[in-house]
Amino acid sequence: MSNCNVVLAGVGGQGILLAANVLGSAAAKEGFNVRVSEIHGMAQRGGAVVCHMRIGDRVHAPTTMEGEADVIVGLEPVEALRNIKFASSQTWVLLNIEAIIPSTVSLGTAAYPSLQTIMKMIRLFAGKIVTIDAADLARKAGSVIAQNTVMLGALVATKKLPMRLETIKNAIRELVPPKYVKMNLEALELGYGVLRNSDEKRRDELDK
Amino acid sequence: MVSSKVLLEGASGKRFLLLGNEAIARGVLEAGVGVVTTYPGTPASEIADSISAVAPDAGLYMEYSTNEIVAIETAAGAAMCGVRALASMKHVGLNVAADAFITLAYVGVRGGFTIITADDPYCYSSQNEQDNRYYALLANVPCLEPSNPQEAKEMVSYSMNISEKLELPCLFRTTTRVSHTRGPVVFGPLKQPKLKGNFVKDVKRFVMVPAHARIQHKALLEKMERAKKISEESLYNKIVRNGSGMGVISSGAAYNYAVEAIDFLDVDASVLKLGMTFPFPEQKIVKFMEKHDQIVIVEELEPYLEMQVRAIAKNYVPHVKIHGKTITKYFPRFGELSTRLVVEALAKIAGKALPVAIKEIDEKYTQVSESVPPRPPVLCPGCPHRASFYVIKTVTKNRAIYSTDIGCYALGIQPPLRIGDTLVCMGASIGTACGISKVIEEDVVAVVGDSTFFHAAIPGLINAVYNNHKVTLVVLDNLTTAMTGHQPHPGTGKTGMKTRARKILIEDVARACNVKYVKVVDPFKIKEAMKTLKEGLKTRGPSVIIFRQPCALLVSSEKRRKGEKIVPVKISEKCTNCRVCIEAFGCPALYVENDRVMVNEALCTGCMVCAAICPYDAIEAGGSLDE
Ligand SMILES: Cc1ncc(C[n+]2csc(CCOP(=O)(O)OP(=O)(O)O)c2C)c(N)n1
Repeated sequence: MSNCNVVLAGVGGQGILLAANVLGSAAAKEGFNVRVSEIHGMAQRGGAVVCHMRIGDRVHAPTTMEGEADVIVGLEPVEALRNIKFASSQTWVLLNIEAIIPSTVSLGTAAYPSLQTIMKMIRLFAGKIVTIDAADLARKAGSVIAQNTVMLGALVATKKLPMRLETIKNAIRELVPPKYVKMNLEALELGYGVLRNSDEKRRDELDK
Repeated sequence: MVSSKVLLEGASGKRFLLLGNEAIARGVLEAGVGVVTTYPGTPASEIADSISAVAPDAGLYMEYSTNEIVAIETAAGAAMCGVRALASMKHVGLNVAADAFITLAYVGVRGGFTIITADDPYCYSSQNEQDNRYYALLANVPCLEPSNPQEAKEMVSYSMNISEKLELPCLFRTTTRVSHTRGPVVFGPLKQPKLKGNFVKDVKRFVMVPAHARIQHKALLEKMERAKKISEESLYNKIVRNGSGMGVISSGAAYNYAVEAIDFLDVDASVLKLGMTFPFPEQKIVKFMEKHDQIVIVEELEPYLEMQVRAIAKNYVPHVKIHGKTITKYFPRFGELSTRLVVEALAKIAGKALPVAIKEIDEKYTQVSESVPPRPPVLCPGCPHRASFYVIKTVTKNRAIYSTDIGCYALGIQPPLRIGDTLVCMGASIGTACGISKVIEEDVVAVVGDSTFFHAAIPGLINAVYNNHKVTLVVLDNLTTAMTGHQPHPGTGKTGMKTRARKILIEDVARACNVKYVKVVDPFKIKEAMKTLKEGLKTRGPSVIIFRQPCALLVSSEKRRKGEKIVPVKISEKCTNCRVCIEAFGCPALYVENDRVMVNEALCTGCMVCAAICPYDAIEAGGSLDE
């Protein structure tokens, strides 16, 4: 098997570590060699967070090399762009369209680019973008906090992961506090569904 | 995030996905360690936190010590009595503990004693990126460097065995990328911890007066001769790949990048992986070098391996070309490595073309990076530190000098509050304030957290009192060690064994230090807090004002646990769009959209401080929360 590299990018507090842990656990359950990198402490607290999940027999390093990501999961638009160096024309970018405005923008020292601009720039690097309204789907599942799991669902639907959907569900059952399991499983399904449907309908919009 | 149960109950022979630090915790349980001590610090924290979660059930003793030197001394005490002990800390913690650490090498131990130092290349969450392998060299103790979670787990038992064989403490060095990487870990059998020992008196060995120290220094050097043999024979120092081209020597996290870079470029190389990096396996290295014309040393931070390899090469194989950080400078001496950095270096050394894609990506990225707004970490919504800083800044009219300290409150340097003119190391706020206040006219306000107060600020405070420095010490008491993951400290009433203890109050300590002006205020009661601070600044001699209000994260999670509602604020029609709440206070729950101030109800904790500072009374309680 060739390596599978996933980069998850977002903002501290969005549940990136949990999402990456779910993926890593599912991979480990199926017997794959896996590495998940995390950054704790000062780097969280509402700051930019990036997590790499890598699967493969020859995987040693915790982080992906530039241009080597199979999928970039952007839990926030600008954060996907911040990490776009990991993309190549082979890469899919899953883009949550819900922006979180950084303090620098609120205070007027920086500007937040429009979604169109962000997508245009992402296209300079990545072969494919899929936009997802994860906040809306998460609300449908029960709470906005489940956006991370919506995005995981979409990631599974790319078929770029070697693990089965059921294994990922089992990892969620183990890692998410019991009272939120049902909601997260629903969020996963909704995220999974959006990609399968949009794939047909919006082909010209999605492809470069 | 692995449920702590797995660490204790996971069956031998099974595989689990663990964080490097959790793997070390499992290693502790498999090594029969009886006493674990720590002072928290990223990236080390989860080692001891995971142990704390299982300690009562596992039958071992665990404590959050007041600081790192106390942690090392406590663990050493147990090890002197034949009980296996471990102290874990972040790299800079070993500076605090260095006095004990270095002399403990002379004294030695009877039970295995491992000191974990978690280094932080790239300073992800630290004030420096020192390379603590040099501490092994300085103190003359063995040094172990795991490169992944599985190894990290296994090396705990290994280091305990070496420590017992040599009766010496072992230094166990991880880095952020080992501690905070998850990987599969196969469990071994648990070992019942031995908690009871006995102290066999031996004055010549345990009492380091000069006459004894001279003798023990020699004894230490002899022990390290034996350690050399262990290193030569160690299975952790091994050739993992045989090629006919260059020879690569690497250790720790760097090894992972090295092998991937070799694969990526498809270069013909042998790889010698070092897991025990002090004492150096000299003969093994000589043999390895004899087979190659070129040696490449891949390591993070300092040229620690490189200097030793060069010294050996000079004596045995002077013709071999050595590449690393010095002379040919293929690798940086700062920050962390990456596969990419190693690919670039190896391509140059092997005379291979660099993959073009990387350069193209770089060029394109320079174009887009300007459009990406920075997103620095900030104080959380509802954080009491923000209210305290607002009070400090308003009262001092931003004209004082503010020496700050290490903790979440270091984020106070961000706009709009910008409180913090100096920050060095834990406890330095009060110490530097003493000196600054002596030589300038402005008010000097030292800012310190509660955990940091107990850890390192008390001697500085006593200094301020005794030498009469006109300093106001503001203690930001959020009743926890927040930055590193909410560990207990002596002011919390909790222990690492999950038992209750009698709280030590900061105000009592300050009064006992003879501070005349000691007050406790609630930073959420802005007006009262301002009045008290003003008074404190006017007193002659040092004053201590404790701003007490629990960490917002703790309050929210407590509320959620109890099923209580968190009621966000709402903005009324009285809002004139003056934006004081954003431009002077800067809570991330408030933002501007379509030129109006809005509330992010999912973020707002309802602390009401923005309401208190709004000049138009336009912020009130009771926003809806329909999530
Ligand atoms: C010598 C040393 N040990 C540990 C740390 C890690 N560390 C950074 S912040 C911090 C916690 C400070 O807690 P507190 O002072 O209560 O402030 P809070 O984060 O709660 O605001 C610690 C232990 C360090 N930087 N230096």
